[in-house]
Amino acid sequence: MAGVELRSIRKTYGDLAAVDDVSLDIRDGELVALLGPSGCGKTTTLRAIAGFVQPTSGTVHFGERDVTALPVHKRNVGMVFQGYALFPHLNVSDNVRFGLRVRGWGKSRVAERVQRMLQWVQLEKLAHRRPRELSGGQQQRVALARAMAIEPDVLLLDEPFSALDAKLRQQMRTEIRQLQREAGITSVFVTHDQEEAMAIADRIGVMSHGKLEQLGSAQDLYQRPVSRFVAGFIGKCNFIEGRVAQAREFESRDGTRLAFTGSHAAGNAALCVRPEHLVLGPASEARGNRIPVTLKSATYLGPATEYELVTAAGDQLLVSASSAGGGVPREGTPLAVSWRPEDGFVVA
Amino acid sequence: MGPEKGARLRGLALVLPALLLVAAFLLAPLALVVRYSLDVYDPASLMKGVFSAENYVKLVSDPFYLRVLVFTGEIAALSTAICLVLGYPVAYFISRSTSEKLRSFLIIITVLPLLMGNAVRAAAWMVIMGTKGLANAMMLGAGVIDEPLKILYTPTAVVIGLVSVLLPFTIITLQSVLDAIPGSLEEAGRSLGFSPLHTMFSVVMPLSVPGMLAAGAICFCLAMNAYATPVLIGGPSVHMMGPLVYQQISKVTNWPFGSALACVLMAVTLTMTVISTTILSRRYF
Amino acid sequence: MTFGRAVYLFFVALIMVFLVAPLGVIMWASFFADKILAFPPSGYTVAYYARAWQLADFSQGFMTSIQVAVCATVGSLLVGIPAALAIERLSVPARAAVREVLLAPMYVPAIVAGAAVYLYYIQFEIKTEFQLTATFLGLLIAHTLVGIPWTMRLVSASLVSNGGVAEEAAQSLGANALQTFFLVTLPVIRSGIIAAALFSFIASFTELELSLFLVGPGKTTLPIAIINYLEWNLDSTIAAVATVQIVIIGAALLVSDRFVNLGRDF
Repeated sequence: MAGVELRSIRKTYGDLAAVDDVSLDIRDGELVALLGPSGCGKTTTLRAIAGFVQPTSGTVHFGERDVTALPVHKRNVGMVFQGYALFPHLNVSDNVRFGLRVRGWGKSRVAERVQRMLQWVQLEKLAHRRPRELSGGQQQRVALARAMAIEPDVLLLDEPFSALDAKLRQQMRTEIRQLQREAGITSVFVTHDQEEAMAIADRIGVMSHGKLEQLGSAQDLYQRPVSRFVAGFIGKCNFIEGRVAQAREFESRDGTRLAFTGSHAAGNAALCVRPEHLVLGPASEARGNRIPVTLKSATYLGPATEYELVTAAGDQLLVSASSAGGGVPREGTPLAVSWRPEDGFVVA
Repeated sequence: MGPEKGARLRGLALVLPALLLVAAFLLAPLALVVRYSLDVYDPASLMKGVFSAENYVKLVSDPFYLRVLVFTGEIAALSTAICLVLGYPVAYFISRSTSEKLRSFLIIITVLPLLMGNAVRAAAWMVIMGTKGLANAMMLGAGVIDEPLKILYTPTAVVIGLVSVLLPFTIITLQSVLDAIPGSLEEAGRSLGFSPLHTMFSVVMPLSVPGMLAAGAICFCLAMNAYATPVLIGGPSVHMMGPLVYQQISKVTNWPFGSALACVLMAVTLTMTVISTTILSRRYF
Repeated sequence: MTFGRAVYLFFVALIMVFLVAPLGVIMWASFFADKILAFPPSGYTVAYYARAWQLADFSQGFMTSIQVAVCATVGSLLVGIPAALAIERLSVPARAAVREVLLAPMYVPAIVAGAAVYLYYIQFEIKTEFQLTATFLGLLIAHTLVGIPWTMRLVSASLVSNGGVAEEAAQSLGANALQTFFLVTLPVIRSGIIAAALFSFIASFTELELSLFLVGPGKTTLPIAIINYLEWNLDSTIAAVATVQIVIIGAALLVSDRFVNLGRDF
């Protein structure tokens, strides 16, 4: 087993670049999520790793080997497809056995392996059922067992949880994460659900319009996004438009000077602050960076209350505050949001 | 050679046998027929090997043949109209039927006679419509008539026979068109105060007009090209295009003229097919 | 149930009877005892079935029809299944055009196709001295053409509704193209193939206008034998023959209803 490396993968269809110069280095045993909206190229990238898509340029490596020219059936990848793609005419154990049959394993070796796989996903009792007799979660486990039975070098999962209901989704993703860890297999999965990605992936690659915007841990992406897209895609974010006036100083459109840590080139940019880092209160009590705001609406969501505000310069801000704290100050009091400089970051 | 190029060659190789078969034994023969239709008949050598439009001229100028062409068109049009009128309510019933079993049952019954073949069906109608047939026997027995009616070997009989052949096609085509029109539209109509019948006429029917045109086109072609029904049920006094083609080519061996007749049939069929496919593919839903 | 609704139901029932009654009538008439077909019959007998078999035209026509139908079905499956596969799963140049060409036999009027193929065969005979008219081979080729569109349509439908994902899964598990085809594709489209076989068989067995030009003395098909007989006689013998054809087709439908949900395929 080894890591997976993509070097400058490009895939064009006519004029459209579905994948545009993507380079990715996945470490041995790591679980990486490719995350992004539909059409961002994540599925194409996954299929390029599998071999269903031939890159227009660039190379795919499994460990030391360059597998770019290798057809799918020679790559030894285990793949779990979006609809599971179980063979409808075979029962559970024949589905799991399929890859081993094709490899010409001996009968007893096959039987033993199939048994172990089914135990691993806890489906031994259902060995003789047909796919149509199984629930969504069960089908997914069969798909996983089938993919892992062949001892693949890489495990690929294409939106594995999208067909499941919310509760099952949570349960299955924890299970799969556990199974993947036990097996220690390098894995890549594709999803458009950021909560899922953040919950189980070691690192997340955020993609947009065929490009890899950022590759990092959930914390890296949330606290230090490198682009406006990533900042806005992962969690909610407030954008204050303006420009970087000088080192560590940001000037909003209406001239307010705001401090920030980190560095950014001079020029037009946006200062970003997460809703939970903004404090809403009377203007007179504001500390640190502060901007006067007008309250537009307050939405009570149970544990938190969200406040929609607008600044004099026209920026829309969202504040998320614990409902346990005090409410909004009396009508008529001038309000401001404030935050600590180290909680803000600048993106282009 | 990348995998994509290889896939294209493999695809071509797999498709080639069927393609060659159809090209060699259908398309090439059709081309031959077109060529012959422009030739001139000669009793000695069968064909003179020239180019001439005289067969087509003959078809429209000779009163007998012109009559056959027009008559075929009339019969086809009448049969089509009757099929649409009779078939629509049945198609509507099947389409809106809530019981899956009833639906399957009705579709099977509709399609069953189709699969039995034209010869068998024509035979069955002969048994029913003959002077000693079932229809006459029932009417005589009930006292409705005193003497057996001549039903068989009349244009009316041909229309009845054709309708029985074409009705299944009509019903199935219309049923699939109606299936595509959501029942929620009718529910909307009903909630606005229309009776079920009124809803069908003012909501569903206008939307199914393209489907009716398509079904009508299919019907017309089938009626126009019919052979067994006109021959067996029409008898010697009824002349239609299908039997005429056979007669000219096989019996009279006037291949050029027979080919011209066949080309006319082909042209009308092709036009109707193109029209109905374009209509059907531009669904409203 | 309102009066209007009752009338509607009655009307629909009437049409259904109109469609099916002729078949029932002729099956009934095949058992009539009188020499000349008349209603009501004086008695019933199965003698005419035996008589039908004794007439050379019918027994020979029946055998020829069965043989041609079976061979033509095999032929249309052999060329049609790969074609459907290529069009739906692989990339074929000018895909849409190729599909239209392969469906063409369904769109050309049978009488026109019959005339065309006949004239073509004659030219073929003149040029190569190899006879095709009034031969088994000539009929076989024409009937295979009839089956190709059915095979294309039904197998394509099966391929489309089963998607290509299962085959990708097989590839990811290590199966090469041939293994994928035999282990995954074929089993999955089984019902499509059976439906195709069924309808090709029926289309060939009942085929009339195309065969009209291609039969000859000693080599005729059952539907044509029926038509020839009917031009001179209408009696229980022909009713018996027609009934046999009905029973055969009915049996074929019943057999495949086990494999394929017929109500759905239309």
